[in-house]
Amino acid sequence: MRPKADVVQPDVVAVTVTTEIDVAEVRQEARRLALRHGFGTVRAYGLATAVSELAMNLVLHTARGGQIRLTAQDAAETAVIELVAEDDGPGIPDIALAMEDGFSTRGGLGCGLPGTRRLVDTFAITSRVGEGTRIVCLVRRP
Amino acid sequence: MHGLGQILLQSRADVLEAWLERLRETVPGVQPASLQLLKLELGTLIEKLTGYFLTDDDDGAGPAFKSVEEQAATTSAACARDGLTPMETATLILSLKAIAGELLDRETSAKATDLYRMRTALDAVVDRLALVTFAAFVETREEIIKRQGRALLDLATPALPIWRHIILMPLVGIIDTQRARQVMEWLLEALSREEARIAILDVTGVPLIDSRVALHLTKTVEAARLLGSQVIVTGISPDAAQTLVKLDVDLSNMITRGSLRSGLAEAFRLLGQQSKGTTETMI
Repeated sequence: MRPKADVVQPDVVAVTVTTEIDVAEVRQEARRLALRHGFGTVRAYGLATAVSELAMNLVLHTARGGQIRLTAQDAAETAVIELVAEDDGPGIPDIALAMEDGFSTRGGLGCGLPGTRRLVDTFAITSRVGEGTRIVCLVRRP
Repeated sequence: MHGLGQILLQSRADVLEAWLERLRETVPGVQPASLQLLKLELGTLIEKLTGYFLTDDDDGAGPAFKSVEEQAATTSAACARDGLTPMETATLILSLKAIAGELLDRETSAKATDLYRMRTALDAVVDRLALVTFAAFVETREEIIKRQGRALLDLATPALPIWRHIILMPLVGIIDTQRARQVMEWLLEALSREEARIAILDVTGVPLIDSRVALHLTKTVEAARLLGSQVIVTGISPDAAQTLVKLDVDLSNMITRGSLRSGLAEAFRLLGQQSKGTTETMI
């Protein structure tokens, strides 16, 4: 039986990220998801990059990795993709500092988190030291 | 299980024939060449099994059983190389139960209780061999995958001397930390080997350039500069360019060109500048 036209099921991609291979996989999935829901190639590339940055953080900063979850929801004339990165890693002691351009604890360029914020429409981060970090982003079409 | 060993010893040729028949049934498309090879493997396995049952090494921890296990692993590896699926391999090993069962059914001289004990002993051994086979199969497959991965890594990063003093390195595929390290290593090696002044790093084939890849690119450029060479990065797509600007990655130290063609033109321009005032010919 086909679903009714006005009830659109959300399109979900969830990947547990522990190694660099997972990062490559999840960002590829993210790009496909965005293209599938009518996002332009630049937006899709941007989302894939945001996913890549967050996923790489999971690999670099947590011992057991974390989860990346993408949920796409179509609506009339628009579509929204929610990106959630969640882990139970060490947490971020100073979020304001982590969001600053050029700050890195791992010898990176320090543009992962601030760059991701610029790539998405809505960005929210909560973190507790010793408990984990949760980042929720929204990307809207058009 | 001395009796079982004797029975196997007498009819090992029949057992092998029956086993090969099962193999043909399980894997209809088996190649004659692999059939020959597997015949040798299975023959050796039967021999070792016979040896094990003849030595009365019943606890399954002695050297006789060890050698059976080793042979089972070798057989399984041969199966994996010949393209048998794990299921086919396990089915093949387990079919020994039925074959030997038929053999014991024909055995009328032994007592029923002895036959029963022989059968349970054989079943236990074959079950263990199936597990060993499976583990060996997975191991072989993983080894193959690892080798392919390494081969792919080697393939993916050629450094081509395309002109005097110019080398081209087209990057294709995902750049992870290991790849990035290798790219840098090979590029620097090629630069000094070819005495090149310019390296063109073409990233058209890289699916995504995030801050991590950008970091590796800047490091490579810096390292090349220490060797007195310049790196031109080409093939950054318009999508990537817009994203990199938003990420605020600082690539100002890097010479970048949109296409490989304009990158090559830039390389010639730089070479022309460098050789000005010297008698050295450029080409």
